[in-house]
Amino acid sequence: MVEKTINLKKKRENNFSLKIKNEIINIRKIYDDPVLMITIIFSLLVVGFFILLPLFNILKSSLLQNGKLTLYHYKDVLNQANSLQVIWNTVKLGMVTGTLATGIGFLFAYVITYIDVPGKKIFDSIAILPIISPPFVIALSAILLFGRIGLITHGIFGIENEIYGFTGLVLVQTLTFFPVAYLMLVGLLEKIDPSVEEAARDLGASRWQVFKTITLPLMVPGLANAFLIVFIQAIADFGNPMVIGGNYTTAAVQIYLQGIGSFDMGAATALSIILLSLSVGIFAFQKYYISKRSYVTVTGKVSKAREKITGKKITYSMTAILFIITLIVGMMYALIPIVAFVKLWGVNYSLSLSHFKYVFALGLKPILDTTYLALIATPITGIIAMIIGFLIVRKKFIGKNFIEFMTMVALAIPGTIIGLGYVITYNKKPLVLTGTAMIILIAFIIRNMPVGIRSAIAALQQIDPSIEEAASVLGANSHKVFTSITLPMIKPAFFSGLIYAFVRSMTLISTIIFLISARYNLLTPAIMSQIDLGRLGVASAYCTILVIIVSVFIMIMKLLFKKIGIDEISEV
Amino acid sequence: MKKNLVMGMILMFVAGIVAQGGVFDFLFKNKKQETLTVYAGMMEDYALKATKQFEKETGIKTNMVRMSGGEILARIRAEKENPIADVWFGGGALTFIEADQENLLTHYLSPMRKEIISNFKDKNGAWTGIYSGYLGIEGNKKWLAEKGLELPQTWDDLLKPEFKNNIVIAHPGSSSTAYNFVATIIQLKGEEKGMEYLKKFNQQVRQYTKSGSAPGRMVGLGEAPIAIGFLHDGIRYQKEGYKDLIFTTPKEGTGYEIGAVGIVKNSPNQAAAKKFVDWALSKQAQEIGQTVGSYQFLTNKNATPPKEALQLKRAKLIDYDIQWAGANRKRLIDKFSRETRTTIPTK
Repeated sequence: MVEKTINLKKKRENNFSLKIKNEIINIRKIYDDPVLMITIIFSLLVVGFFILLPLFNILKSSLLQNGKLTLYHYKDVLNQANSLQVIWNTVKLGMVTGTLATGIGFLFAYVITYIDVPGKKIFDSIAILPIISPPFVIALSAILLFGRIGLITHGIFGIENEIYGFTGLVLVQTLTFFPVAYLMLVGLLEKIDPSVEEAARDLGASRWQVFKTITLPLMVPGLANAFLIVFIQAIADFGNPMVIGGNYTTAAVQIYLQGIGSFDMGAATALSIILLSLSVGIFAFQKYYISKRSYVTVTGKVSKAREKITGKKITYSMTAILFIITLIVGMMYALIPIVAFVKLWGVNYSLSLSHFKYVFALGLKPILDTTYLALIATPITGIIAMIIGFLIVRKKFIGKNFIEFMTMVALAIPGTIIGLGYVITYNKKPLVLTGTAMIILIAFIIRNMPVGIRSAIAALQQIDPSIEEAASVLGANSHKVFTSITLPMIKPAFFSGLIYAFVRSMTLISTIIFLISARYNLLTPAIMSQIDLGRLGVASAYCTILVIIVSVFIMIMKLLFKKIGIDEISEV
Repeated sequence: MKKNLVMGMILMFVAGIVAQGGVFDFLFKNKKQETLTVYAGMMEDYALKATKQFEKETGIKTNMVRMSGGEILARIRAEKENPIADVWFGGGALTFIEADQENLLTHYLSPMRKEIISNFKDKNGAWTGIYSGYLGIEGNKKWLAEKGLELPQTWDDLLKPEFKNNIVIAHPGSSSTAYNFVATIIQLKGEEKGMEYLKKFNQQVRQYTKSGSAPGRMVGLGEAPIAIGFLHDGIRYQKEGYKDLIFTTPKEGTGYEIGAVGIVKNSPNQAAAKKFVDWALSKQAQEIGQTVGSYQFLTNKNATPPKEALQLKRAKLIDYDIQWAGANRKRLIDKFSRETRTTIPTK
C-alpha cells in the first residue's frame, strides 16, 4: 500500500519533471525560430490588448465608485425596477426567439434531409441569406409590411398594427436567426445513419413512431445546442432591438443608451458584466456540457443514402409550410430595393430617384469610409486568424491555452460590450484611439477573427501533420512550412474567411456604434439614424447600396477563386 | 505559381493602401492641415451641406457627426478631459445653457454678433442663436374632415373631449421639443395652473414618442390625428409630400426654440472653431438651411428667411424666458413625469 503511494508519487514527479523538460524544449524551439516567436508574442498582444484588457476595464469600472471598491453599481442596477425589467426582457427574448428559431430551423433541416421536396436549392439559399445581409433589412421590411402603415396590415387588412415591441422583435429575430439553427441541425441530421431508422421501420414502426422514438431523441443534444447558440445571439443582438424594439428595451440597447446616451458608465458597465456573465455562462455550458452529449455519432458512419419520405400528404403540406416561410423571407428582401425607389412609402407610391439622390449628394462618405476600412480589415483578419489557428493546432507554447480560450469565448461576447470596453480603455492617455480609423479597424478584426480562427482550426485538423513534419525534417523552417505546405492546403478556408470578414465588417453595428466619430461615421449607424428619423426611403436606399457592395465583393472573390483554382468554397 | 499569385495580390493590395497617403498618418493622426470637428444637432442634410460649404470657403478640413442634443451634451461631458469636438453646431439653446452651467463651453463674442437679433444670443457669448422655430399644433386634414372637426386653434382647445386619446407628442424628458411645450404652458399660465393643464392634457395623449419630430410625421402619415411639434418640421413634411398635414399656431401665443452654435472648451482647434462660429452667424451660412428642407426663421438681421416660413410670420409669441427655461429644465421635467406618471420612452 505504502509502496504503491510512493510509486505513484514518483511517477507524478517524473511526469512533472517531464512536463517541465518538455516546456523547456518548447521554449528553446521557439527561441530558435524568431519568426515563430514574434508571431506568438504578437498574437498574445492582440488578444491581451483588444479582448482581455477592455473586459477587465469594464469589470474595474463596474466595481469602482469614487475610487473605492464597491458593489454600488450592481445594487443600483438591481434596485431599479427598470433595469430588472430590462434583464428580464433580454432573457425572455432569448428564450422565445431561441425556441422559435430552433423550431423553424429544425423543420427546414428535417424536411430537406428526409423529404423529397422540389426546389430544395431555393430553400437552402433562402436559409443562408439572412446570414450575409445587413442587420436592418428584415426589421425595416417588417415595419414596412406589418407596421402601422404596413402594406399588408394597413394596406390589405386596414388595421393599425403596432409592430414596435416584443412581437415585432421576436418576428424579426426569428427570421434572422433560424438559419443559424438550420445550418447546425442539417449537418447533424445528415449524420444519422439511416439503417437505424430503417431497422425500426422493418420492425413495423410507423414514420411518426420512428421520428418520435429515434430521430428526435438522437437530436435532443443538437436541438439544445442550437437553442443555446441562438439564445446567445439573440440577447447580444443590438440592431434589431434598437430599430424595432420600441418600448421593449434589452440589455444590449440599454448599455448603449446609458453608456453613450447619458454617459452613466457605472450603470452601463455593471449591466455589461451581468449580460456578459449570462452569455459566456451559457456558452460554456453549451460548449463543455451539451456538445459532449451528442449521440448522433454513436450511430456510426452513414452507410448508405436515406430513403426519402414520399407520402403525398406529408410532402405537400411540408412543402407548403416551407414555401410560405421562404416567401415571407424572400419578400422581405425584395421589398427593400423597391422601397428605395418609391417616393413616400404609405402616402405616395410613385417611382422616384430622390432617395438615391440624397445618398449620393450628401451621404456618400459613410459608404466610402465603411468600404475602405472593411477592405483593409479583411485581409488582416484573414491572415491573423490563419496564423492563430495554425499556432493553436500545430504548435506548443506558453499561453496557447489562454489564446485558444479567449478566442473561443470571444464568440460569445456581445458586440456592445466590446464597444463599451474600447471606449473606456482607449479614450485616455497613454493610448488615445477613439476617433481614429485604427480603433474601427481593430473592432472589425477582433469581431471577425474568432470565426476565422475556428474555421482555420477545423481545416487544419483535417490535414495530417506528418506532411508538415516531413517538410520540417527536410530542413524547412516554420515560416517555410507554413507558407508552402500549410497555407496552400487551407486556402479554401482562408478565402471563404475573407468573404465572411468583409461582409461582417460592412454590416457590423453593435461594436462600432460606440466608436463612430466626426471623422469616421459608418454605414450601419447612418442607416439606423435614417430609420430613427422616419426616412425609411433613404434607409432602404442605403441598404440596397450595401447589399450591392457586398455582392460585388463576393462575385470578385469567386472569380478570383476560379483563377487560382479553388472550386469549393468551404462553408463559413 | 498559384501561391505567388496570391501573395502578389496581397502585396499589391497592401502597397495600394500604403500609397493612399501614408498608413501611419491615416491610422494614427487626425490632423494634417487645419482641421475642425463639429458635433451637429440639426437635421443631418443641413449640417452636411453647411460643413461642406465652410470647408470649401475656408479650406479648413471639417468633420461632422450628427447626434441629438442630449447625446452631444453627454459626449462633450464624457470627453471633458480630452475634448475631441471643437464646435457644437445646431440644436436647442437650452442644452447649451446646461453645458455652460457645467463650464463646458468657451465664451466667444463673435464680431458677427452685431448682426444677430438681440434676444437670440447669450450675453456672455457661451452660445449664439443661428435660427429659431415656432411650436404649434399639427393635425391630419382627412381625419378632421371625417369627424367633422376643426383643427384646435388654442392650447385650451386641445383639452376638448373629442381629442381625448388622439394627441401625440414627444416626452419632455427625451425631447427638447416637448420640453419647450411644457415651458411654454407654464410661462403662459404660471406654474400651478400650468401643471393643472398638463395633467389634463396628459389624459388626451395617445403616445409619447422619444424624438420631437416623430409626432408630426405620424400625423402626416395618418397614424395619429393631432400632434404638437415644431412647425418648420411640419412645413418640411408638407413639402416631402404628406399632403394631409395641416398646422396652426395657438392664439394664446406659442413658444419657440433657438438653435445655437458654440465652442467646446479646451478643444484642439479653438482658432478654427472661432472662424466657424463667425461663418455660421453670417447671412449666407444661415440661408443654407432652407435649400435642404430646414425652414426655421433666421437670427441674422440681414438674412432672408425661407418663404415657406412666412405663413408663420404673424404668429403670436409668448415672452419666452430661455434662461429661466434652461435653468429649470430638470426640475420641471421631474415634476411633469411625477404628476403625469409617465416615463421617457426608450426608443
